[in-house]
Amino acid sequence: MLIRCMQSENKKLKHSILWLACFIIPLIPAIMGTFNYLGNLAFLTPGWHNLWTQETLFYANFFGAPLMGLCCAYLWRLEHRNHNWNALMTAPVPVWATVLSKLMVALRFFIMTQLWVGTLFLVTGKCIGVDGPVPMEILGYLLRGTLAGAAVATLQLFLSMVIPSFTLPVILAFIGSVGSIYITAKGLGFLSPYALLMLGMNANHAQDMLKGQLLSFLATAAGFALLFYLLSIAWLRKKDIRA
Amino acid sequence: MKTIVETEALTKRYSRKTVVNELDMKVPQGCIYGFLGPNGAGKSTTLKMLLGLTHPLQGSIQIFGKSLNPKNRLEILKDIGSLIESPSYYGHLTGRENLEIVCTLKGAPTPEIDRVLALVRMEQQQHKKASHYSLGMKQRLGLAAALLGQPRLLLLDEPTNGLDPAGIQEMRELICSLPAKTGMTILVSSHLLSEIDQMATHVGIIHKGELIFQDSLSALHQHSRSRLHLTCTDNAAALSELTRNSVPASEENEKIILHDTDDHSVTRAIRLLVYAGIGILRVEETQVSLEDIFLHLTGKKVSL
Repeated sequence: MLIRCMQSENKKLKHSILWLACFIIPLIPAIMGTFNYLGNLAFLTPGWHNLWTQETLFYANFFGAPLMGLCCAYLWRLEHRNHNWNALMTAPVPVWATVLSKLMVALRFFIMTQLWVGTLFLVTGKCIGVDGPVPMEILGYLLRGTLAGAAVATLQLFLSMVIPSFTLPVILAFIGSVGSIYITAKGLGFLSPYALLMLGMNANHAQDMLKGQLLSFLATAAGFALLFYLLSIAWLRKKDIRA
Repeated sequence: MKTIVETEALTKRYSRKTVVNELDMKVPQGCIYGFLGPNGAGKSTTLKMLLGLTHPLQGSIQIFGKSLNPKNRLEILKDIGSLIESPSYYGHLTGRENLEIVCTLKGAPTPEIDRVLALVRMEQQQHKKASHYSLGMKQRLGLAAALLGQPRLLLLDEPTNGLDPAGIQEMRELICSLPAKTGMTILVSSHLLSEIDQMATHVGIIHKGELIFQDSLSALHQHSRSRLHLTCTDNAAALSELTRNSVPASEENEKIILHDTDDHSVTRAIRLLVYAGIGILRVEETQVSLEDIFLHLTGKKVSL
């Protein structure tokens, strides 16, 4: 059932330019972060670690969640338009599979984006001649960020499903991200899925922000993902499509 | 005759407004059931409840002899094709790609796509983007999607809405041909009496959420036969004479109404009255049209 739903989701994405957004948008924080790194070398210790802090400062704090929001908004926009709700809800597939297939597709986009962010980090570092070996922790940060992305994706999918507007959930993702900078600074990062992305990616921090808290981080990300997934299913089951 | 769809006291309320009220619908197998009613009468809401898109406040729904509930819904949906309100389509995809999505979700074999494309005569336009289709083409695409997987029941909500006269005729012919070709039962809603008259074998008339008539189309036509009105010197004596001789008649507005209007029955009735010495002052033939019946039932002028 899930495979059938995923196949149909893949077919819906034919001719879409979502891939282009996932390719272009991460270029912005990578370039901004690199210039920030170069501009602040007087205060920063040169090296891969600090290049990472500067690039993630922009990516995890401002661009990651809205980009994910964009993907999720697109996935539900397809259903909000042209009366596709009727077709979607009369298809003989359970709602859990409908929601999960959209989550899988969103996560696939996010995994590709994370890989692209990692690649851009290496490329920009090499271009500006950062010395030394690339720290392996970066791989861990990317993986943690991807897991936090599951929490952000389920939240954004829920918002985009409930809100027919395309842009509003994306704006909410941006506001959520900016607000989460403050939440994270206060040490309450586990309260917001957007903050989990920052914590996971170790955004703009020299020290590991999740030292000794990895299990709690994973449990919180899984908890948020499960919460918004179940909320989505419950909402779809109760939803009345008005005549 | 086996019943495919049966509702009992089906009721739906939005806020304080009751849009469907205690609806008892019976759709016999293999028929084209015309669900007729003015705009806003509750047709779409009823169809949405039959598909589980909208949840009833009370009442029950039986489809294919099974009760429609969250447990059975998916199994029932497998055998239903539907086109509710406007057709659903992904505009950036071609007609064929749209059908591929529905085919995948229904788990139907791929050759089904060619079958339904041929059925709705869309083979030539299948590779065009759906957003470039005319409304008529989109309706046909919607119908093709509904027909995928050879459903036993087809629910069509105002399928000719917005079509030009040629499109209406084409869609009507297509719908009429389906039960014979596929053996399916069709429930089609419309606010146009003439349309239901040309398509349906059975009719349900809904008005202000209530089913005010339900029977075969021929039964509805029975009401529309012409009637003969007689004005006599003594109506009471005339009615008694006719009834005594088993001539179907009644009295209304100081006129005797003859229910059988064939030549033989009329000749016999008049002869009986003349022989009984009752003077006949006036003989008038009146025609009760379907529109008159509709007006009588709903108190609302019908669209033609």
